[in-house]
Amino acid sequence: MAESSATRPGARLRPVGDSATPQAGGSATTGGALYDLGYQRYTGKRLDRANAVRTLFAFSLRTAFGLGRGARSKAIPSIILAVVFIPAIVSVGAASTTGFSALISYDNHLQFTSFLIALFAAAQAPELIVTDRQYGVLTLYLARPLTGVLYALAKLGALVAAMMVLTFGPQLVLFLGKVFIAVSPWAAFKDEWTVLGPLILGTLTVSCFIGSVAMAIASFGGRRAYASASVIGFFLLVPAAATVVRSLATGETKRYLILAHPIEVINGFAKWIFHIEAKRRTAVGRADLPGSYYFAVMLAVIVVATTVLLLRYRRNEV
Amino acid sequence: MGPGSRIYSRSPPTHPDSSKLSLISTRDLTKSFSDSVLALDNLTLDAEPGIIGFVGANGAGKTTFIRILLGLLPPTSGSASVLDMDVRGDQMAIRRSVGYMPENDCLPIDVSGADFVAHMGRMSGLPFQAARERAAEMLRHVGLHEERYRLIGGYSTGMKQRVKLAQALVHDPKLLLLDEPTNGLDPAGREDMLALIARTGTEFGISVLVTSHLLGEIERVCEQLIAIDGGKLRYNGPVSAFTELTERLVVELDDDIPELAPALRSRGLDVDGTTTLLRITVRDETTYDVIRDTAAEHGAAIARMQLTRHKLEELFRDQVGAHG
Repeated sequence: MAESSATRPGARLRPVGDSATPQAGGSATTGGALYDLGYQRYTGKRLDRANAVRTLFAFSLRTAFGLGRGARSKAIPSIILAVVFIPAIVSVGAASTTGFSALISYDNHLQFTSFLIALFAAAQAPELIVTDRQYGVLTLYLARPLTGVLYALAKLGALVAAMMVLTFGPQLVLFLGKVFIAVSPWAAFKDEWTVLGPLILGTLTVSCFIGSVAMAIASFGGRRAYASASVIGFFLLVPAAATVVRSLATGETKRYLILAHPIEVINGFAKWIFHIEAKRRTAVGRADLPGSYYFAVMLAVIVVATTVLLLRYRRNEV
Repeated sequence: MGPGSRIYSRSPPTHPDSSKLSLISTRDLTKSFSDSVLALDNLTLDAEPGIIGFVGANGAGKTTFIRILLGLLPPTSGSASVLDMDVRGDQMAIRRSVGYMPENDCLPIDVSGADFVAHMGRMSGLPFQAARERAAEMLRHVGLHEERYRLIGGYSTGMKQRVKLAQALVHDPKLLLLDEPTNGLDPAGREDMLALIARTGTEFGISVLVTSHLLGEIERVCEQLIAIDGGKLRYNGPVSAFTELTERLVVELDDDIPELAPALRSRGLDVDGTTTLLRITVRDETTYDVIRDTAAEHGAAIARMQLTRHKLEELFRDQVGAHG
């Protein structure tokens, strides 16, 4: 152990015992001498609080995908990664070999991934914040130069970033597929690039929407499994309740009640942001509300859920 | 100064600036959790750099005290400062200079010891490379070798305590706050932990505040001792004086000699107990001579003389009784 440390460049060594006493044949270069490295003070650079937030963000983003963790922590993220990316990759692959260019549409893919990232959020939001509470790690974080609010923001940011990988990532595969399968990629890019803005805004909004709700619910959980069940329960029960209430309502009320249904809100938002007319027979088509309503509801939910989350961590106490 | 000495430099084995630095200072520090419960009651104390023992029975207010120093709990009234920084205004600066080892579990299960300690180093402001190097060094210091690459969930209690100490040391704090570091350890583990604490304090030149409900264990490694009970300060001074304060000589007599105790008292000794079993405070070496001479004068046969000590709780109960 002393040996391995002694090889580190820059370490200054001192032989044990009185160094002024010449030792017969026992100089430091002949080896075999014992070294006591002692304690070394750190006098280098110390970084600021922003660095602590960035560090926590990056560490939590890795945690969301199970990186640097045991094999079991990688299972759920890997499965969801596969399920969101494989259809996009297969779709691009099929289109490039057959020359048939009917790729999965951006809005359909966003609707398809919303369900999966809700599952992802249910599994990983508790992994990010409940386990810190459950195992007491939060105490160590709060004893460092970091406030509870910054802690919660870093964790929320990490979850949203992980969800962006799952939503925007496959969309980017579809986008690049469309561009490079085309006879003239440059012409295709000029046609297609305007969709990048809606793609980023769309996937970001959906990720924040689902992520902030999952984090707000998880912030009340004392144990990981219960917190996951609560998040899943929320995303199952609220749509179910909204559907029942909507089936009882009539007229104008029925039209507006679609805004209480999280999945339909995402559907309506996806049609709006990609400028696609909703089909008449779908719920969104029948409600026929302005698309910005769906966006407004999502923003309101994001603000409320984030506020709840930050309030939970405002007191900096465990 | 060789190349590379930019980051690390050797510290002298003394406490730097010990003459002018106030390590911990509180004035009328009070913390109440509700109207009826006073966790800390007008605590006014000063601690000099060095190894400080902080003793009190369970629930005496030790953890509350540490949490206030870290800015994790706001004081109800009064003031407290750590390294001349106020706990209300300079929390972030305090936390940068202090390492904290909580009493309870505080480690994740599915991260390796090396990764976790390095992460905690970065959270305290160390750059990536320095955090990794210091994490490896601190884990070596606490005696974790190859195990540091295994997931913490598989560690024994003793290994977990070592990781907890390593993460408190990784950013080279000026002060370590250790809350019941020997809790849950077997006797050998306790010895190891105490030796580590002593080494950290004396060789590293880092000041240490270590809490315990076991006086006997803590006084062996400390220079200064602070004792609290029910949130009130009971003692603050050198360990040696506290040891004298708590030691009693038990004298067992063969026969009942009722006049012996008054005779001893008349010669200035502090005596209590029954007629055949006396408990006497040892002032200095002459105490033994006085007991021997007085016993001889009264023809009392001493069957047994033994130095014992109060349990912490007894001491406080006695003092409360004496003062109130």
